[in-house]
Amino acid sequence: MHNWCLEVWGDYACFTRPEMKVERVSYDVMTPSAARAIFESILWKPAVRWNVTKIEVMNPIKWISVRRNEVGKIVSGPTARQMSGERGEPMGIFIEEDRQQRAGLFLRDVRYRIHGYFDFIPPERRAENYSVAPEFWADVQEQDEIVRMDETPAKYAAMFERRAKKGQCFHRPYLGCREFACDFRLIDSSDETSEPIDETRDLGFMLYDINFEPDITNPTAQFFRASIEKGIVNTDRREVEVRG
Amino acid sequence: MILQALKGYYDRKLSEGLIAEDGWIQGGLDFLVELDTEGNIQNIADLREMLEKKKKSRRTLLPNIGKQALKHTNSGKDANLLWDNASFVFGIGDKGDTRLQSMIDAIDQWIGETTDAGILAVRIFLVKGLESRKHFSFAFLNPEQGELFSEGNVKIGFRVLQTNYQTVYESPIVANALTKGVRRTEEKNDPSVFRGTCLVTGEADVEIELTHAVTKGVWSAQSSGACIVSFNKDSFNSYGKHQSFNAPVGLRAASHYGKALNSLLESPKQCIHISDASTVFWSEKKTAFETDFSFFFKEPDKDDPDAGVQKIKALFDSVNSGAYLDDDDETKFYILGLAPNAARISVRFWKIGTIKELACDIKQYFEDFNIIKPPKEPEYYSIWRVLVNVAIQDKSENIPPNVAGDFLRAILNDTPYPATLLQAVLRRIRSDVENRVKPVRAALIKAYLNRYYRFYQNSKYKEVSMELDNSQPSIGYHLGRLFATLEKIQEEANPGINATIRERFYGAACSTPVTVFTNLLRLKNHHLAKIENKGRVINFERLLGEIIGKLTDFPAHLGLHEQGLFAIGYYHQRQAFYTKAEEPK
Repeated sequence: MHNWCLEVWGDYACFTRPEMKVERVSYDVMTPSAARAIFESILWKPAVRWNVTKIEVMNPIKWISVRRNEVGKIVSGPTARQMSGERGEPMGIFIEEDRQQRAGLFLRDVRYRIHGYFDFIPPERRAENYSVAPEFWADVQEQDEIVRMDETPAKYAAMFERRAKKGQCFHRPYLGCREFACDFRLIDSSDETSEPIDETRDLGFMLYDINFEPDITNPTAQFFRASIEKGIVNTDRREVEVRG
Repeated sequence: MILQALKGYYDRKLSEGLIAEDGWIQGGLDFLVELDTEGNIQNIADLREMLEKKKKSRRTLLPNIGKQALKHTNSGKDANLLWDNASFVFGIGDKGDTRLQSMIDAIDQWIGETTDAGILAVRIFLVKGLESRKHFSFAFLNPEQGELFSEGNVKIGFRVLQTNYQTVYESPIVANALTKGVRRTEEKNDPSVFRGTCLVTGEADVEIELTHAVTKGVWSAQSSGACIVSFNKDSFNSYGKHQSFNAPVGLRAASHYGKALNSLLESPKQCIHISDASTVFWSEKKTAFETDFSFFFKEPDKDDPDAGVQKIKALFDSVNSGAYLDDDDETKFYILGLAPNAARISVRFWKIGTIKELACDIKQYFEDFNIIKPPKEPEYYSIWRVLVNVAIQDKSENIPPNVAGDFLRAILNDTPYPATLLQAVLRRIRSDVENRVKPVRAALIKAYLNRYYRFYQNSKYKEVSMELDNSQPSIGYHLGRLFATLEKIQEEANPGINATIRERFYGAACSTPVTVFTNLLRLKNHHLAKIENKGRVINFERLLGEIIGKLTDFPAHLGLHEQGLFAIGYYHQRQAFYTKAEEPK
């Protein structure tokens, strides 16, 4: 299981605390779920599940308070009447009626080094994705042999390294909220060791991730006791107790 | 971290016995209905106290069986135990019957069968009232009280004269019931109860609070209270969760942090209101810094104006000696700034620091603001005074938004002040025709510039000093001095003049000097000719020569920092004239 290190940096970040989600307040450091999302934005397949082991904070923690206009309503689907095309109420949200001003306490000028590895999920254990169109094989032997013969962790590891080196991603990685896009770079273990900030303190309970395992319609939040030691947060699931 | 720190404060206060424990809450009662053992009203006692010409409820410890102690829902079914507001006690309004019934239900569910005379009397009182409101008629005899009761907002408790208790809920039966924590829905398998991990304490499998208790005391928020943790619109929900299930906090943790925050916002020593940010602060352990912190920032009390000055002097001494009074330096200190947004509260800033760091930062703040002043000015300025002097018409409603929070954050983090602050003060100087550069504004500009250049080192900048400094290299500074000298010449030539060049030309002089100064220098010759005392004339000319000697040219435009230095130079020179005038000749 190879461990990769990505350096990510951006102008703003908001790793929102669940309890202050409406008037956003960010956690002091990146959450493991946000780090996982960055790995996933570079490469994700049903065969891999990313785990984040370590988050290093490279820049001092700075804050900024911003108030933004947002929306207070969820769009509902078209009614039967609207689908039929009759004249009636316009669809959509009119901001003049549903404006919600939400303040936020965000992080400024952030830079992190995140370390992670992926768990390889062999084909038998993956949730099946049945394609809509039927697949045609020459004979049963071909179907058994060719399909999924090259499923190995090394394949995905190579895919990830190639993409990370080239800067490829499925969607732009972001720091907590989609609007705070970030840049990333794969760090080779040999070269350049830069120093994380020299801070050691306890961060209280931090969101580890959302657990979809038992019931996908009713996910639960998982928390762990986070502490930053000389600028490094240990988020290795094998070493840190995750509750929930 | 924030909720956890608040809960830590609650635990600390609980161990000191200074905060209401589980089952109780600090609240106010206005009236006491005195009953006999048969539940008939004998008397209504008014508990209110006069405070600054207004009647205020008496603070007391009340039974707390849920969030209804702070704010009722609209259902009418959430009465408090053995006390409530008038609309519940007297069954007022369309939901009056429901409310009375829920008061009876609260007694039944929490206390059940009992022999306590007081509780029984209250129950009979409510049951009889439910049957016929005529039972309450005694209460409405007094027209003034009757009106207050009909509105329904005043808080009412009960007292039965034949028992020994001042109020019915002081009976130990009530205390017992509350500590047992008997809930309305006792069943553990109740499907509407959501269990999960509390994110404040980390306890697993605890019941999660659906809506958190309100916080009262944040300035300009809804008067009935607002919440920090609130999800009051569908668009705020995630993963299909509703309301506060989006942020799982256990029942007890939620009640504890709520009580801690409410008590902080109520206490005058641990809460200051700066423009739109209500700021609370507390330390990990009991410290003197915690109670003195407010003195550094608020306006001095009218009765005791020197108390603040003494505390600040103590702070200065502490940094030299190394410890604030007897406090332990490494104790953590928390500062939380809250701002209202209708029914929600947003966190404006949050800082954790040690007392030593914060004491240094605050001392730096006061040192930066030191400037030569006329004798009647206060020695130290409060934040409110600084901000009010940059607002339009010097009114606190007009303080630019966000500036207060950013200013306080910059003080506590020892970073440069927000650029918006310099812009606001320069704008105000230009628009305030009467006063122009007040001492507090000059002090603010000096503090801003010194802090800025401490952070962003620039060899061409020399730190602004407290009083007139001849060796200051800045051109803006000397132009300000020149302007002040020319104004003084004009004043002496025309004693009693209403509008000097200060009223007319300040704005142009500080932003585009070349347009104005040539004209002013030409006019000064006529003013100098009018002055009779030739000695003064020679002094002025010498001073002018010295100032102009520092200038090579009149720049076409001065940047903002230079305009700030212009204001300071102007102020320093004016102060120098006054002190010279006071010297015995």
